[in-house]
Amino acid sequence: MKKSLVLSALAVILVSSTAYADTSGMRIAFSNNYAGNSWRQAMLKSYAAVTEKAVKDGIVAAADIFTTADKEVPTQAAQIQNLILQGYNAIVINAGSPDALNGAVKQACDAGIVVVSFDGIVTEPCAYRVVVDFKSMGLEEVEQMAKFQPKGGNLLEIRGLAGTSIDEAIHQGILDGVAKHPEFKIVGSVTGDWDQTTAQKAVATILPSLPDVVGIVDQGGDGYGAAQAFAAAGKPRPTIIMGNRQDELQWWKEQKAKDGYQTWSASIAPGVSSLAFWVAQQVLDGRTDIPHDLLVPYLAFTQDDFETVLPTIETGSVASHEYTQEESLAAIKANM
Amino acid sequence: MTRLGRLLEKPWIWSFAGALLVWLAAIAFTRGYGAGGMVTAALSLAVFTVIVGIGQMFVITLGPGNVDLSLPASIGLASAVAMKVMGGNDAMVVVGLLAALGSGFLVGSFNYFLIRALRIPPIIATLSASFIIQSVDISYGRGLQIKPPPGFADFTNLQVLGIPVLAILTVLFALGAAVLLQRTIYGRQVLAIGQNIRAAGLAGVPVGRVRYLTYALCGTLGGLTGALLAGYFRGANVDIGNEYLLTSIAVVVIGGTSVAGGKANVPGIWGAALFLVLLLTMLNTFGVSAGVRLLLTGLIIVGVITAAGGPKSAR
Repeated sequence: MKKSLVLSALAVILVSSTAYADTSGMRIAFSNNYAGNSWRQAMLKSYAAVTEKAVKDGIVAAADIFTTADKEVPTQAAQIQNLILQGYNAIVINAGSPDALNGAVKQACDAGIVVVSFDGIVTEPCAYRVVVDFKSMGLEEVEQMAKFQPKGGNLLEIRGLAGTSIDEAIHQGILDGVAKHPEFKIVGSVTGDWDQTTAQKAVATILPSLPDVVGIVDQGGDGYGAAQAFAAAGKPRPTIIMGNRQDELQWWKEQKAKDGYQTWSASIAPGVSSLAFWVAQQVLDGRTDIPHDLLVPYLAFTQDDFETVLPTIETGSVASHEYTQEESLAAIKANM
Repeated sequence: MTRLGRLLEKPWIWSFAGALLVWLAAIAFTRGYGAGGMVTAALSLAVFTVIVGIGQMFVITLGPGNVDLSLPASIGLASAVAMKVMGGNDAMVVVGLLAALGSGFLVGSFNYFLIRALRIPPIIATLSASFIIQSVDISYGRGLQIKPPPGFADFTNLQVLGIPVLAILTVLFALGAAVLLQRTIYGRQVLAIGQNIRAAGLAGVPVGRVRYLTYALCGTLGGLTGALLAGYFRGANVDIGNEYLLTSIAVVVIGGTSVAGGKANVPGIWGAALFLVLLLTMLNTFGVSAGVRLLLTGLIIVGVITAAGGPKSAR
């Protein structure tokens, strides 16, 4: 018994040590459809940091990043077809559409290319999907709100980009949370598109008609705009759930210093791009046991730890977490 | 009665009527609660649309085919330029504003260069210019939110008796624009070119110079809007001007300016801008979902344009 355990452990070590050599000649491309906001910039930066090191360490031969000039889906489909022709072994995708790229993705799979999508995922079954557990994030927002506002009260919800799976998942989580905590009532809902400007405008227009609001449940990128809209209207500041953006955490810090303001912050880490890279590398390495749908945790900060991370975030950017190969293996394992 | 009749003949009256109507609908829903707050919010948000709308109005008035589609990109770039130059320092506000105006002016000049020197139709020229500008902006601003200096941010939020100071200044600005359009040689020349560019040229209007000035003016107003938006929304970003592609044209049309050119009016821009913000207020107050909201917005805009166009075609 003991012997077989040692043997199997030895086998694991043998397998994992050969892992590095097997992909050293392989090239992984990254197809990205947009670079214009702080989250996307952080995503590209995390990806570049992790992959440059991987190339230097000889884990892969090349990890090139390609961003399309516009947000158009046909452009990205054409880009993926080019990447197929250029002979990449794997393509990591942040897709502009969940289903419109399926044709190009299928072509890539048929050509023997490993496709890993994240953030903007593709539904084509042959591709891998790295998905953040947004539903539990929405649920946790209400759980946290219940801690800060134990008496309950009215909530304002800020939704994300309409029609996306992410918006639906977070919204569903929030609804589940409110069902669990009947002391809360959602009295208004606006669309903020995960964008500070859009959120501020939307909140400004609904605010005059709202009764007193104790808290705002949102989707990240919209908290600071909501705070500005309340300030501009001269309304009392509610508990606003934050989304890991530097300006949101900075505002939180200022409010905390002023009167001990309490809240919670959560969002998808832009560095999930690096996890997608490691998934591609592992599949190229010959692993066949990785599920095609991988659920990974969101990145959250609390009253106690947000101030330690704040100085590490570039001004105007967003908190990130870059995955090492070991962390990625652990994240994959958690899904098996 | 004749006074009322004359008032109804004004092409801009419909946009104000529409604004009043959606406001009344919203406060009927809340039983009067928040009526004043809605107006304050509408005035604050309409300001930006009015400024870009006036720029777009001058361009559209130049005649068929004239439109500036580079405004969103130009606004985004100017917002980044303004915030970077200000660098969070109140002493640099004026310099930052001038830099934003300069950035917009250059974009407008570049547009006209494409139109005139390369003979590209304005729609294509300004659209392709917007791709170039946006790429410049992404590499210049790195997609980061750059914050305004506190003094400038506070200024964009300043209110007197519930009326935003920025809105008061923009009313004065609109009056100036109306005088420019109706009472100056330049404004008359714009209208003349819009009515018939050949006739205007034969009558001695310096067509090239007037068109250049108009595109440059529109670009400059886009630059101003970029800086103000970054102040009001506490930060510059690439997408900050996105919505003004449609709304800058919509307010011109809803406001009663002729899309065919040669006929413009400034007050309608205010009415239309208020109408669009109050429409959003009303739909948010009703609590309709995002899909229904877009659908209703489209239908109502079509409705107002039809109503505004009705009496005109009868004449």
